[in-house]
Amino acid sequence: MTEPARKTRRPGPALVIWSSIVLFGVLFALLTYQLSASQSPPPRPVVVRKVLKRRVVTTYVPTPGRNSISSSGAISSSGAIAAESSSPAYAPVTTGAS
Amino acid sequence: MSEHDVIFDAMGSHVRLLIGEPGPGMAAAPAAAEQARQLIVEFDAALSRFKPESELCSLNADPRERVPASELLRTAVKAGLEAAQRSGGLVDPTLVGEIETAGYVASRAGVPGAPLGAALAEAPARRPARPNPAQDWRRIEVDDAAGTVTRPAGLRFDTGGAGKGLAADLVAQRLRGYSRFIVDCGGDIRIGGADALISPYEIFVEHPLTGERAFVLKLGFGAVATSGLNVRIWRGEDGRYSHHLLDPATGEPAWTGLIGATALGDTAVEAETFAKAALLSGPEGGRTVLGERGGLLVHDSGRIETVGPLAARPRVRIPDLAASA
Repeated sequence: MTEPARKTRRPGPALVIWSSIVLFGVLFALLTYQLSASQSPPPRPVVVRKVLKRRVVTTYVPTPGRNSISSSGAISSSGAIAAESSSPAYAPVTTGAS
Repeated sequence: MSEHDVIFDAMGSHVRLLIGEPGPGMAAAPAAAEQARQLIVEFDAALSRFKPESELCSLNADPRERVPASELLRTAVKAGLEAAQRSGGLVDPTLVGEIETAGYVASRAGVPGAPLGAALAEAPARRPARPNPAQDWRRIEVDDAAGTVTRPAGLRFDTGGAGKGLAADLVAQRLRGYSRFIVDCGGDIRIGGADALISPYEIFVEHPLTGERAFVLKLGFGAVATSGLNVRIWRGEDGRYSHHLLDPATGEPAWTGLIGATALGDTAVEAETFAKAALLSGPEGGRTVLGERGGLLVHDSGRIETVGPLAARPRVRIPDLAASA
């Protein structure tokens, strides 16, 4: 004796349509949320560097009637010291007896 | 940022101007430097003891007790009197006859000095200088309202003690508003400008014996000046060594145990006064003179001693020449 074949019930078309719409809406909302979340990374610090470069224009004014022996001496000696100095862009300023 | 650097000769020394960016409405640095140079040249022409046509020489030669004087000359006389007042008479602006007797009659600009080491070996016993009890400088009066200088006829005045410092201060007044500046009149240096407070200048202190860098100061404002025996020093016809820093009490060159002094101050006149007074006071008195504002003393041995605030903040190297010798 065989059992009678079970009769399957198909869902109605309205249920299928509405379920599809609801599922689509849920998935669409989820994807939209993920997309928007991935497009707003945490703010990164912005570093602004202002580069100040000191440019020194040196002028040696010759004394009328004299050549610039003393001035040129100052240039060479000052230049030598400046080479040893790390910071100033200009020849060093020196205080001494005069 | 740019900075204009001008070097020229005046007042028997090198003069240097470093001028930064102008403030709103101010002349560009090169124009300001030229104006400052002209001021210093005029200052030198009016106040040099070595130029017979100068107003200072005219004042000293004038037989009247009350003499009309320009604003510049009156300012210079007042600066000299202030230096004398603040030093208790050690920096005396009336020692013209004495300095000429010592052999300093004409400008010694460009003349190599006698060897300081040899002079020290032959110098008399060291002792602090003292003020002249007569205090002739107190008999000089300046009347700005009348535009005159009054003094006993024959009493001569010299700006030597404060002249370069005053020139630096006068130029500095004109450079207010520039971002940064240095006015260096033969080692009497005035510094200013807001930017210099943030990024101070390095000032090298020259050693009087070696001529090398002995100390480095970082200054963003104020003034520094150095007085020393190494530059205007000579050997007279009698074979004796002399120099330009006189003991007011004797009128003779002072040998105090110090060969150099560097002083800090608010103005270059003040720094110059402190430096000269410290050197003339000798080691013990020099410490007192420099104690408040700070400075350096260079002993006969070459040893460098920091005093006051500089001693409290040893931020730069201090070579001990005596130890390394």
